[in-house]
Amino acid sequence: MERKDNQTPQGEIARILVEFLEVAITSVVFLKGVYPNGAFERRRYMNLVVHKARHPQLYEYIHVAVNGLLAFLTKDLIDRVAVVFLDDGGLPIERFVFKLNVNQSYSSKVQQADLEFSLRSFLIKLPLSEPLTKILPPTDCRWEIMAYFRALPQASTSKDAEMWIPSDAKQWQQPAVITPIKSMSSEPLRVQVYAEDPNPSAPKN
Amino acid sequence: MSSKSNSASRSKRSLKSTSSNPSSSSNHSADGKRKKTDQKTLGMAWGANSRPSSRTAFRNSPFTDFGSYMAVKNQKLHEQFDAAASSSSHSGSSSGNIFYGVSIFVDGYTVPSSQELRGYMLKYGGRFENYFSRHRVTHIICSNLPDSKIKNLRAFSGGLPVVKPAWLLDSVAANKLLSWTPYQLDQLAAENCNQAKLSAFFTLQNNDAPEIANNSVDDCDNQLLIKKDEGRVSLEQTERCNREQIDHLQLKTDRVMSEEPSCSVESSCEVKGLEQSDCSPLDRKNSDLENKSSPCKASVSHCSNSPHNQNSCEASSSRICLPTNQRHSTLSDPNFVENYFKSSRLHFIGTWRNRYRKRFPSLSNGITSGVSGLYTAGSSHKTAVANEKNVVIHIDMDCFFVSVVIRNHPELQGKPVAVCHSDNPRGTAEISSANYPAREYGVRAGMFVKDAKSRCPQLVIVPYDFGAYEMVADQFYDILHNHCNKVQAVSCDEAFLDVSESEMGDHELLASIIRKEILNTTGCTASAGIAENMLMARLATKTAKPDGQFYIPTGKVDDYLYTLPVKALPGIGHVLEEKLKNKQIRTCGQLRSITKESLQKDFGMKTGEMLWNYSRGIDNRLVGVIQESKSIGAEVNWGVRFNNANDAQHFLKNLCKEVALRLQGCGVQGRAFTLKIKKKKSDAGEPVKYMGCGDCENLSHTITIPMATDDVGVLQRLATQLFGHFHIDVGDIRGVGLQVSKLEGADDSKCGNKRNSILPWVSSTSVKDKNQNQISDLPKLGESDAWRPSSGVLRQPSSGIKESSTETRAGLSSSETGTHNSSVLPPLQDLDVAVIESLPPEVVSEINEMYGGKLLGFISASKSKIIDINTHAASTKSCEDSGVAVEGTGSLSGAHLVESNMVATDKVMKWDKEEDPNYAAPATLSRRHIMPSSLSQVDSSVFRELPEELRKDIIEHLAHHEGPEYVKGAFSDVSDKQTEVEASDLSGLWIGNPPKWVKKFQISNCGLLTIFAEVYQSGSGSCLSSLLQCLMSRILTGGGADGFGNAVSWLHELFKQYIDLKITTDVEEIYVCICLLRRLTGRSEYLLQVYNAIIPHLQASMGENYGGTLCIPSL
Repeated sequence: MERKDNQTPQGEIARILVEFLEVAITSVVFLKGVYPNGAFERRRYMNLVVHKARHPQLYEYIHVAVNGLLAFLTKDLIDRVAVVFLDDGGLPIERFVFKLNVNQSYSSKVQQADLEFSLRSFLIKLPLSEPLTKILPPTDCRWEIMAYFRALPQASTSKDAEMWIPSDAKQWQQPAVITPIKSMSSEPLRVQVYAEDPNPSAPKN
Repeated sequence: MSSKSNSASRSKRSLKSTSSNPSSSSNHSADGKRKKTDQKTLGMAWGANSRPSSRTAFRNSPFTDFGSYMAVKNQKLHEQFDAAASSSSHSGSSSGNIFYGVSIFVDGYTVPSSQELRGYMLKYGGRFENYFSRHRVTHIICSNLPDSKIKNLRAFSGGLPVVKPAWLLDSVAANKLLSWTPYQLDQLAAENCNQAKLSAFFTLQNNDAPEIANNSVDDCDNQLLIKKDEGRVSLEQTERCNREQIDHLQLKTDRVMSEEPSCSVESSCEVKGLEQSDCSPLDRKNSDLENKSSPCKASVSHCSNSPHNQNSCEASSSRICLPTNQRHSTLSDPNFVENYFKSSRLHFIGTWRNRYRKRFPSLSNGITSGVSGLYTAGSSHKTAVANEKNVVIHIDMDCFFVSVVIRNHPELQGKPVAVCHSDNPRGTAEISSANYPAREYGVRAGMFVKDAKSRCPQLVIVPYDFGAYEMVADQFYDILHNHCNKVQAVSCDEAFLDVSESEMGDHELLASIIRKEILNTTGCTASAGIAENMLMARLATKTAKPDGQFYIPTGKVDDYLYTLPVKALPGIGHVLEEKLKNKQIRTCGQLRSITKESLQKDFGMKTGEMLWNYSRGIDNRLVGVIQESKSIGAEVNWGVRFNNANDAQHFLKNLCKEVALRLQGCGVQGRAFTLKIKKKKSDAGEPVKYMGCGDCENLSHTITIPMATDDVGVLQRLATQLFGHFHIDVGDIRGVGLQVSKLEGADDSKCGNKRNSILPWVSSTSVKDKNQNQISDLPKLGESDAWRPSSGVLRQPSSGIKESSTETRAGLSSSETGTHNSSVLPPLQDLDVAVIESLPPEVVSEINEMYGGKLLGFISASKSKIIDINTHAASTKSCEDSGVAVEGTGSLSGAHLVESNMVATDKVMKWDKEEDPNYAAPATLSRRHIMPSSLSQVDSSVFRELPEELRKDIIEHLAHHEGPEYVKGAFSDVSDKQTEVEASDLSGLWIGNPPKWVKKFQISNCGLLTIFAEVYQSGSGSCLSSLLQCLMSRILTGGGADGFGNAVSWLHELFKQYIDLKITTDVEEIYVCICLLRRLTGRSEYLLQVYNAIIPHLQASMGENYGGTLCIPSL
């Protein structure tokens, strides 16, 4: 099943995307300074310096979470994936959203090199973008990966998918303020990253 | 997984796994489970990883491998070196090509540094390699190398000589390429242990020595190195040298206490001749020093002698003492500049002229009170001495600076006396003037006091007395002006008189009378030379001196000149004399034997002609008025030492004050400002002259501003700016000068400003201008042609709005415009669009600002070629055209028409705010074609109301105006049609390649839209952000025939469609576009409107697509 998926362009894209998301999410977590810098080690990915979690649980969490998306990504069920930073009350402080779009009708072979080149630009931009370089206050903060589905998965297509549970995260009362970080469109994949901050005028809670 | 009943199309799920709960993981780490990382390991891991990554990075770079990268880099370095070499050879005066063919590679630490060595190579025609190459490098330069490196060097140097830097220094000093063999490193290596000790010794010294002596210590160090190279140095020698060093230091500190600043200021108003004679000995000395291989040698030897001198001279020190409480360098004296100029003789001479001109303002006009009665009486006995010929008397006070001082000291009469700042017998202060008894001992101006004292031990040194000089100079000129109405002042003590028209025939008698009067009044003697021209008179004075007069009649000129040495001719200096000497020419007689042509060939056109003329006693200059000085400035090159940038800034500030005072004193303002800096040459030590400038490079930068100024603040700002251009170590600065040129009289420049400036015009309006600077730039623009057409538009208030409006309206009745005269700005509608269009964009925007931004709208409105004229406006205009008739008849319709016109014009002003379609029509009134283009556009109902003659007139006029392009054809409302067309046109602007809008904007008449299209076509790329980025660097003109609203709505549509296009896929692009647009709003009224209109739409679609609003950062 998986083999077959990987042979379609969509499967191929999904695989690349999952890999990319894993790296990108780790980068976001690293950049926001939730953990001390020593919790990460430098690795090379697409000829770039990236960070990989050294702590097995942290690495595991990110790895399993995004790999659990593979099946859904192949079917283009995922609208966006968000890295949400929450305060101790469970209210989001800041969210980094990966908005994904895979062209389902795309049928020709995917140029992996082209795609990687485009995704590289994200990883270059991430450490430089202003919202990311702002280090979170050193209070007790948590974070989680949240995926927005276009539609609920029909049935558990794979075991991985079952690990996703509905989120009970609190929402902001007001529409968020969006700061675009990076957008990319390289057929058949479109990815955008933006930061969402609570509207400063909105009352807390 | 129980909650699948949720029917929402979008659900949020977050991953929860027992093993990797995010919160637990973060808590874990907070509990201290996180491992401390070892930075070292990380670093190593990083290093290991980065290497291959950087190697593979070459794939994307233009270089295939490291080798090609280095090749390109080397090539670039060569180009830079060549560029620097060519520029330095321009600036450097006497740099030769000693190092031609030599290409050095500097290895490791050297003294002087590799950069200094590079400088030498630059200057003397060598090459400098940053990277070693066996093929390009000819010599390897290094001072000290470890054994291993020496072996290594030999291994790859392939037998190239390894030489010490002293080789280069000595070659430069000797001004030829010396053999490198004595400087080989081998030898150095042999002496290695010995040398190491020595250098350690000296560095210690350096640290301990007071800062002022640092340079000389270095020098000594250098010298020692040189000596060492010759293999003569021993430890004893160094010790001795060290002792000398200490002596030297003590001496220096002594001198700090006792020495006065000497004159080395140079003012542009200075009298050339005097300056030359004063400075040349010093110059010569400097050049001598340059030729010496090491200036420090001189200083060292001097030190060793000085203790004796000190003792012997103490006794002979003169009675007249100087106040010695003044401080002598920029370091110690906060008011250095002020004090410096207070005690500068050249400054006195330089500024004397201003005083003179103020005192005798009328003399330059040639009007005087006339010759005094006494001498008119004597005119009866006219002699035959050149009655129709010119007669010039040259009067020069005898050793002015000395005699003025000693006239009140009878005990000094007949004794050798010299004027100098300092009477320190060992001092390096320069004698500025010596009396004749002193001259007999060989004491000359420009000599150091110590040299003068050695020649004449009983020499009395007196200080300057500027007050007395001033007084005597004034008396001197009073006398001259009493006797002659044509006086040309050369200096405070020297003048030419043209006595050709003098009633008194006997010029010799006149001269002696004047001289006697001078002696009686001032107590100082003067000498006079009388001849037919200024040249000969001056030469005659030389013969006459001291205290005498000499007359050279026309017939004797040839004889006089025949034996005269060429050196005596003014304008012949050392260089020229030397050249002539090489040609075996010593006297004017010999000079005369050479043809003018060959002189001009050898010495240049001007000098050649001068030589030819002067050797024949020909001088066509007329005794006349003082030439206007071309520049004014102040320069200080004595005592300039800075510790840090603040010192330098402070000094600059004071210098600016001084210059501003001088400018104000002369009543002029300048536009060009030159900052001159004397920078200590890298190899130059502490100069021989105490606190002097020594061997310096002269650097200068000039800045020209549009409006002349003498304001201190502006000067300081400019000076700071100029100073910033130099990028030099303030510690190396030995002299600073600020020169102001492109002078304008302060009075006429003020008038000129008034004439050209928009300022008075602006100040009378209620519109406030934000930027004063911009406006002050306008006068410059005013000089350009582009401004001229505007005279019709922007008439000065004085000339009257009425007039200008009449003109611009070209024959239209201006009766109704009179109502607008209440405001000082000409009414908007009176401006000639064609003229405004031809103005430079900056001026347009300026004017636009004054009209509160309405101008651009107006222009675009009036440029509209779609003439959709509203009934009222049309008929008004047509009536206006035959305005006389309307007013003449005074008919009801006429009055109504005028009124309606007023309404219409008012609406023009308001229009951009109220987008009422009713108002839109009058706004697009064409000012160019005031007549409606055809009868079809005239409202028939109004037309019918008009009197018979009027109707006839209108029809006639229409016939004239009617050109094919203006014929619109039908009665139908054109404007309605237009909007319809637009609506259909505006869809799908971004479809196609190039997108549809490009073509549309291109053919539009709005300047801004055309720019958009242009920028797109010039290859800005397909995305809007890059287009806007390109726009940032463009000048955004508004204006065009299309309405303001048209352009705004088109642009709005353009942005809106772009947002719709990109909102789902590329919010980043939209973000960038909006940010850029926001920045552009400050520069274009249009874009501000577009921005304001687009933001709600943008936020709405952001909310729709992303559930949030786009963050728009503040500017």
